[in-house]
Amino acid sequence: MVIQFMVSLMATLSFAVLFNAPKPELFFCGLTGAIGWIVYLICLNFNDSITIANLTATLALTVISRMIASLRKNPVTLYLISGIFPLVPGAGIYYTSYYFIMNEMGEFSKYGMQTVKVAGAIVLGIIFGFALPQGWFNALGKRRREF
Amino acid sequence: MAETKEILSLAVETGDALLRNGAEVYRVEDTVMHILEAYEIEEYDVYVLSNGIFASANENKEDACSMIRHIPLGSTHLGRIAALNQLSREICSHECSLMEAWERLDECCAIPTTKKNSARFFCGMGCACFGYLFGGTLFDAVTAFFTGLLLQILLQRMSTGRVSKFIINILGSAFVTFLSLLLYSLKLPILYDKVIIGSIMPLVPGIALTTSIRDFFNGDYLSGAIHMIDAILTAFCIAVGVGTVMTVYYFLMGGSLF
Repeated sequence: MVIQFMVSLMATLSFAVLFNAPKPELFFCGLTGAIGWIVYLICLNFNDSITIANLTATLALTVISRMIASLRKNPVTLYLISGIFPLVPGAGIYYTSYYFIMNEMGEFSKYGMQTVKVAGAIVLGIIFGFALPQGWFNALGKRRREF
Repeated sequence: MAETKEILSLAVETGDALLRNGAEVYRVEDTVMHILEAYEIEEYDVYVLSNGIFASANENKEDACSMIRHIPLGSTHLGRIAALNQLSREICSHECSLMEAWERLDECCAIPTTKKNSARFFCGMGCACFGYLFGGTLFDAVTAFFTGLLLQILLQRMSTGRVSKFIINILGSAFVTFLSLLLYSLKLPILYDKVIIGSIMPLVPGIALTTSIRDFFNGDYLSGAIHMIDAILTAFCIAVGVGTVMTVYYFLMGGSLF
């Protein structure tokens, strides 16, 4: 688990560098991604459903991003965009096209549907995360205006 | 009152810079409005799309003024977004005169992008980590590091020319698939699917998806749809790139390896 945490932190951090995130924020960008990934793994432990795990992880990720954004007085986008990468269904895209090429239609539709579901779960997770009132987060940073 | 034009162009330029570097529509709209308000313009209208800004100020007065900007979908620069956000906050708390604001805006837009070499290194690093996270072994991660590094070099080469985004995504994913299958057929002990999954991560449309959702959430359906289509097409292109190389390999090897 610790290794998974470190690796996902490193992975998110590297991608944050690619998107030119400011240097002092790099660690926090990595942290959001790592927390999202760990929540995802924990959920998978309790429940087989990848969709629910993704939903929970994205929700946690969004909330954490907003908290850090309030604390660090930076746009939420900064942390959210970097943190979302471990959850985006890259593997889903790969397996879907792989089984399509291999003409295994059963597997193809299974992975295709799963990719769509995961994308949907991410959508819902972010939406729920943003539906929480801004006031809760403002208290953290004591700032006037926040997005 | 001759200042209206000056103020509006400052606001629109700031919005332009934000949008160009990948901020979501709501933030751009909000920033432009706040800047206009901070400089005491009372009548204004701002309409922002994911690739354009329309703004007008003081329409019923003598110095009426309106502006339109077209902004192509570009690459993401989070550092600039953060800096511009800070600038707009300072303008709103009246810490910044108009002249200073212009200077600061130029500074924000001049924040450099990551150096080519370190971008290559970190791209490889990211690919390696994702390869490992999605179930690869340590050796897969090392392989993904090199394929990711080469992918980034390829992307940098192509981004200087006017190559379509579709072609970049198709070629990029085809390239990493080719590399990992090549290494696999050289009898290196790798799980080629993990290497491929790790290495296509830089191409996967995570940003477009996130931005799209946030646009939808704020009611900007049109911009949300633009980003969503972008995300779906990118995913499709990746699938095509991976699929094409897989098919060719399958034919060459007579299917024995699958």
